Amino acid sequence: MNEALHTIAYKTSQGFVTGHFTAMAGPCEVIIETSDQELAEKVTQTVADEAWRIESTFSRYRTDNIIYRINNADGDPVEVDAETARLLDFADLCFEVSDGMFDITSGVLGKIWKFDGSSNVPYQNDIDKLLPKIGWQKVSWTNPRLQMPAGMALDFGGIGKEYAVDSAAQLARQITELPILINFGGDIVATAPPVSREHWLIGIEPLALGQNTVPPQVALKHGGVATSGDSKRYLLHNNKVLSHVLNPKTGWPVADAPASVTVLASNCTQAGMLSTLAMLQGKEAETFLQSQEVEHWIQRR
Amino acid sequence: MKKNLLLKSALATATLTLITGTAQAEEGQEQTTPASKEQAIGDWKFDAAFLFYSESDSRVSAIEPVFNANKRLDEEEYLNLKLTVDSLTGASPSGAVASDQPLTFTRPSGNASYTVNANQYPLDDTFKDTRVALATSWTFPVSDMTKAGLGANISKEYDYLSASINGNISYDFNNRNSTLFAGLSYAFDSIDPVGGAPIAFGRMQPVGDPQNKLSGSQDKDTLDLLVGITQVIDRESLFQFNYSYSMSDGYHNDPYKVLSVLDDQGNYFDDGIPVANVLFENRPDERTKHGLFGRYKRYIDGDILDVSYRYMTDDWEIDSHTVDLKYRFAFDNGDYLQPHVRYYTQTQADFYQPYLRQDQPLPQFASSDYRLAEYDAITLGLEYGWKSSGGNQWRMALELYNQTPTEPEKYGVLQQQTLLPDWNAVMLRVNYSF
Repeated sequence: MNEALHTIAYKTSQGFVTGHFTAMAGPCEVIIETSDQELAEKVTQTVADEAWRIESTFSRYRTDNIIYRINNADGDPVEVDAETARLLDFADLCFEVSDGMFDITSGVLGKIWKFDGSSNVPYQNDIDKLLPKIGWQKVSWTNPRLQMPAGMALDFGGIGKEYAVDSAAQLARQITELPILINFGGDIVATAPPVSREHWLIGIEPLALGQNTVPPQVALKHGGVATSGDSKRYLLHNNKVLSHVLNPKTGWPVADAPASVTVLASNCTQAGMLSTLAMLQGKEAETFLQSQEVEHWIQRR
Repeated sequence: MKKNLLLKSALATATLTLITGTAQAEEGQEQTTPASKEQAIGDWKFDAAFLFYSESDSRVSAIEPVFNANKRLDEEEYLNLKLTVDSLTGASPSGAVASDQPLTFTRPSGNASYTVNANQYPLDDTFKDTRVALATSWTFPVSDMTKAGLGANISKEYDYLSASINGNISYDFNNRNSTLFAGLSYAFDSIDPVGGAPIAFGRMQPVGDPQNKLSGSQDKDTLDLLVGITQVIDRESLFQFNYSYSMSDGYHNDPYKVLSVLDDQGNYFDDGIPVANVLFENRPDERTKHGLFGRYKRYIDGDILDVSYRYMTDDWEIDSHTVDLKYRFAFDNGDYLQPHVRYYTQTQADFYQPYLRQDQPLPQFASSDYRLAEYDAITLGLEYGWKSSGGNQWRMALELYNQTPTEPEKYGVLQQQTLLPDWNAVMLRVNYSF
């Protein structure tokens, strides 16, 4: 990690202080309703530090963290710290409730699937070679010990950013009760509604500008909002659009997945998991979210 | 995929566990402080509490500041220090029965006397003491699945010294869903009553007459054992069960409690001595207790239900039942409101007697201490917890206590008196963690 990139830019307007920084490969912002610049900077610094801490702790691109130790243990057991254990417990629960569709060992598929808008679909042969390296059920996890067959790899990409938002919000709440909105590249938490207005207003990125005359908006008082899906990440195959959501059992994109799913829940991790699980439902996404009785917005191409 | 609402609530619970790191709601010990902040290794965490307690009819009132400091030495290693200061004032029932005549009693010091008006419940108003207690404990991991703790306590009052050491061990198994624990404690108590400890069944003497009083201190040894299991049932609930054993040997009397000696009409028997005819109590010098305790705790969408039941029995024939119910409503902003109801009932000790009769032989043991009588008690409480803007936890609790004893059998003129009046207490506690 390049420490020099750890900078925060501040902007003040209409009773809100906004801090911008970059973490987890994307733009992040912290908005605080206050005129106390010093307090706002303290909160933003805490949030940013937490984002950078979680990023470096669980990044797949570092050689000095727990993910590296797990992914390079070559089948040996690895003892993990309490935070990693909580994430593994959570991933384990998600694997269980999704009947294996949400799987933190499926990241290896990213090596062959490049969702760049082209029609470069990988060869079935290459997919077949990777499938034996996927499957959380092959991992032995008994807190605090994890043992994974050699060649497999863990990736917290599916939950890390949402977790970071919640964890940062938790720290921010300990500093102040002032209303704060934390946004890590579309994964959002609001600690309280702004005093000056009824709620925070969050825009969901439309599929294509101009296509939807009014982009969908989410009114958030407190809780978390997360969006799964990305309108720019897809492949074309046999005249059909392939979403970037992969089925860990087949190694292929989930059929008829929505372009994006946004969910509002009590925290960001919960919202993120519900939206991910909805994506994995393919054409059943709407039915699934209706049954969960959560506020949600689904966009399809 | 399980397309039901349980998935959403399972995720809600799981995400909370993930984010806060407090998995099974504060399991285990009574009144553990909910961690308001993640305590880093090497960090101290402090807790200050202030307790105000007041009984009805100007009985005892107490002011008790408590200061607790906890240092996280390592991942799972903690050092805890707790200082309690108790300041008690007020009056306590002496054990004598009321009479239609004024009654004069010698103060425990033997240097003064006080008079209780006719038809008034006799309270000894010399009750005034300050207690200072220091407790320290050290908890540490023994292996992956085993944790242990060692502790020591010392408590000093004007006339009382108590010292104890304790150790405990717990073992996690079944994917940490089950915890077995065992504890052992040994306590030594020494009492050096004001004016000396009275001889058992000694007659209260007039001011200035020190006969019937022993010199030196009286001692007691107590051994306590506890074994139990905590079982996580599912992601939202857990069950706890334990058995306790306690054996004490030595001086069990309350040196300030007396029994009235009455004639066949229910009047104080006049033996010519110019203070009320009362004898100091006499209890057995051994006591063995057994206890069973069960608790069920459930997490309900952020709220916490906590139900427990305790059964105690001892060889003094006191059997008691306690049912305790708490429900913690969690608000969206992190505050909580916790109503609390407790019901307690006990049978009397086999040697409990409200008075002695001159025309009947003296029993082997006797005490008229209201705490050894048959009674029911109800506690109603409400606790509110909130966080300051600095993220520190505040808690405030108000509890009301009512004790309703079973009025003992009476005869003659005694029927005009209430031997065991109902009484109430109110307790206010303020707690701040930082």
